[in-house]
Amino acid sequence: MNSNILSQKKSSSSAPDQERGGFDFKKYSTIMALIILFIFLAIMTEGGFLDARNFTNLTRQISVNAILAVGMTMVILTAGIDLSVGSVVALSGVVAGLLQVNMGLAGMGVSGTILSILACVATGFLCGTINGGLIAVFKIPPFVITLGMMVIARGLALIISDSSAISPMSPSFKWLAKGFMSTELTILLLAGVLAFWVKSLIARFKEGKRSTSALFFAFLLEAICISFPAYAFISDRGLPLPTLSLIVIAGLGIFVLRKLPFGRYIFAIGGNEEAAALSGVPVTKIKWATYALIGTLAGVCGVILTARLNSATPTEGNLMELDAIAAVVIGGTSLMGGLGTITGSIIGAFLIGTLNNGMDLLDINSNYQMVIKGLIIIFAVWSDARTKQKAKA
Amino acid sequence: MTEILRTHQITKEFSGVKALRGVDFTLNSREGLALIGENGAGKSTLVKIISGVYSAGNFGGKISIEGTEVEFSGTKDASEKGISIIHQELNLFPELTVGENIFLNHLPLKSFGRVDYLKINNDAQLLLDQLGVEFLATDKVTDLNTGNQQMVEIAKAISTNAKILILDEPTSSLTTKEIQNLFKVIKKLQENGLSFVYISHKLDEVFELCQAVTILRDGESVYSNQLSNIDQNTIITHMVGRELSDLYPPRMINSTPLEDRTPVFEVENWSAYKLSEHRERVSKVNFKAFRGEILGISGLMGAGRTDLLLSLFGSSNYQASGQIKIDGSPVKISKPEEAINNGLGLVTEDRKGNGLHLDFSISDNICMASLDSYTKNGLLDNNKKLLVVSELVKKLLIKIPSTDHAVKTLSGGNQQKVAIAKWLATKPKILFLDEPTRGIDIGAKFEIYSLLNQLVKENVCVIIVSSELPELLGMCDRVIVMREGQFASHLQGSQITETNIMSAAVGVQ
Repeated sequence: MNSNILSQKKSSSSAPDQERGGFDFKKYSTIMALIILFIFLAIMTEGGFLDARNFTNLTRQISVNAILAVGMTMVILTAGIDLSVGSVVALSGVVAGLLQVNMGLAGMGVSGTILSILACVATGFLCGTINGGLIAVFKIPPFVITLGMMVIARGLALIISDSSAISPMSPSFKWLAKGFMSTELTILLLAGVLAFWVKSLIARFKEGKRSTSALFFAFLLEAICISFPAYAFISDRGLPLPTLSLIVIAGLGIFVLRKLPFGRYIFAIGGNEEAAALSGVPVTKIKWATYALIGTLAGVCGVILTARLNSATPTEGNLMELDAIAAVVIGGTSLMGGLGTITGSIIGAFLIGTLNNGMDLLDINSNYQMVIKGLIIIFAVWSDARTKQKAKA
Repeated sequence: MTEILRTHQITKEFSGVKALRGVDFTLNSREGLALIGENGAGKSTLVKIISGVYSAGNFGGKISIEGTEVEFSGTKDASEKGISIIHQELNLFPELTVGENIFLNHLPLKSFGRVDYLKINNDAQLLLDQLGVEFLATDKVTDLNTGNQQMVEIAKAISTNAKILILDEPTSSLTTKEIQNLFKVIKKLQENGLSFVYISHKLDEVFELCQAVTILRDGESVYSNQLSNIDQNTIITHMVGRELSDLYPPRMINSTPLEDRTPVFEVENWSAYKLSEHRERVSKVNFKAFRGEILGISGLMGAGRTDLLLSLFGSSNYQASGQIKIDGSPVKISKPEEAINNGLGLVTEDRKGNGLHLDFSISDNICMASLDSYTKNGLLDNNKKLLVVSELVKKLLIKIPSTDHAVKTLSGGNQQKVAIAKWLATKPKILFLDEPTRGIDIGAKFEIYSLLNQLVKENVCVIIVSSELPELLGMCDRVIVMREGQFASHLQGSQITETNIMSAAVGVQ
């Protein structure tokens, strides 16, 4: 998609190196930060951090925030925001919990679990649809609407749960978070990912936009990001189901943004809403749909979280929206909309999650953890803003 | 005459691309120097260098003021040396008063750091009286019309005791009367000792206002002379480096009388209420437009021309009533999607605000209004997209290094071509263009005019709104004149004269 008529003529793979671009530092800065953090933690824990089981568990923990970050990317790309996701995760989790425990679905085995999942996801969808409708149709600022929904959903979660945790869930429900995809299937899936990667490698080489050494360095980084998780999943117990959901959702998200007019419209709205509207972009529908989508993803996260904790807690998911927003921003998406990627947001989510996990491992007091995390978010956004300013000058 | 400002071999590169290759010009004291050049000739870059936006060391060459070489480390330096600039786009704060806007950068203070409003208003009023304008220093800028807002910019520029004023296309959004007022003010300031550099595409303005001219082409100053020695053709020849026999390409006018043709677009009893202003901007308008013609819509600023186009196009900023018929059958257009599906296209007046996605690539912009047509089984097909984009880039002679470049890196003329390409990609039956050549140079204008003629040949119905009378005269089969939201006159053939249009626009019978 990056090729073009005029430069196609002159830029073939035979173009001399100095005519092509160097290493895209900005694009890979978050990945490099993540790798450095991994190395640092590996040294501090004398290799314990790189243990396959620890990494597998880490991806399971991170998946909730990363899934929310996928939805949040789309919302922020339209120049919107959703502050309600944390509360919606709690509310939908409580709905699942009530169905499992109070309504007795836990005793109904797999069909009970499926019903609980559907109800949980539907709750998220409903909240998102209400948000989106008010924002898109009545043109009320998303900050205000989702702030309201944040409080309302939290209140509802507390009301219907009678302010207490609900447990236990049925074994098949718990399996949703604790289960694994078999090693064979994991290998198959990873082979698929590998194929996609190789295809993109070839495309980039052919395009010849960047010098060979820059491309090589980029591939090296990407190879690390694929091979280490692959090693961990295969040598441990396979792919954890929440991680699988993340891969599927992220894959779909990237596909939607790149390949469907819907995705391009999301960018167009964030880039210049009025110009988009006058170009015939169905602004109302698209905005509405993005909020419904992130609500649905919050419902999915409600399932995963409730299953992982084996309990539906009305106070769960507190400040989760801020982690998701931080992941998106660290990943390079502009809060003004129109610019950003899902891949970046997922790397951002991993950076935050790894930091949390690492600080736990290092036994850092949780109060200090908050301060450190906040500083890192500010630093990340500051350095991003700085590179952008430099690029402008 | 003594020289006040001189540049010597100014050069400037942007990541390897030479924007300026050596510009020399001399501005004499109390002189008006016109700086003229095509799209991308380097005028804006030069202005940024003179006004200190690009600080010393970021460009080559020398600047001297009154014979002494100067180096600016920023715009503040330049303004201390007496150089003030008025940018093409107004840089005012609409919710502040005129006085606050004028003194914003150097607010006078009282004890405890309080703003001295008495001084602001008195000083500002003095400046305004000097300019001979009718509004007050205490008026809010948002309540002034564009012409008066421009006057505020001038007051702001001279409030720093500027000796040299640089005006970058100051008239592009003004009406004829406002332009005359502006010129009066500039001439008066000149009598009081001001020298100015005037950048414009409008040659008649240049001849009226300036004494000398320097012409830029491809980043070089190619010609300088006193205007009294030359005529418009000399300037055009030097600007484009070729003879431009006529500003408007000739074309065949459809000679079949209107009564014998079927209209493609009919509007009956059209009224539009602008929601943000809480008032009716268009009332009970009726007109017909035909395939293969250019219909012009003229009128003063605020006569409701843009409002008419936007409301017909289904913009959500308007509540509209009335009837639209396309090819004889009534259609309902309540949003732009429906307008596009019915074969309408709209090149907006404000490229930056609602016309283009400036940060997006050229190809993304061109495909913006026709994205659904590049899908295969619901998925976007980039090859299809690329094909259309490259075809349009060729057809419109858009000069770009690559279709991946952000539109904001292009010159005004090329941006406008991208905006038009976006609509050609939708293959419209009826194309609205609001000020299609605003702020772009003669060469690009000519290319756009030729393109419009080409569209007419392809049987498209073209409707243009324009504030430039020669453009309407040179291009249109028919002209409708609007005044205060209503149609004031309908002119055809030899009736289309500047006098007829103007008298209808201002309401003289």
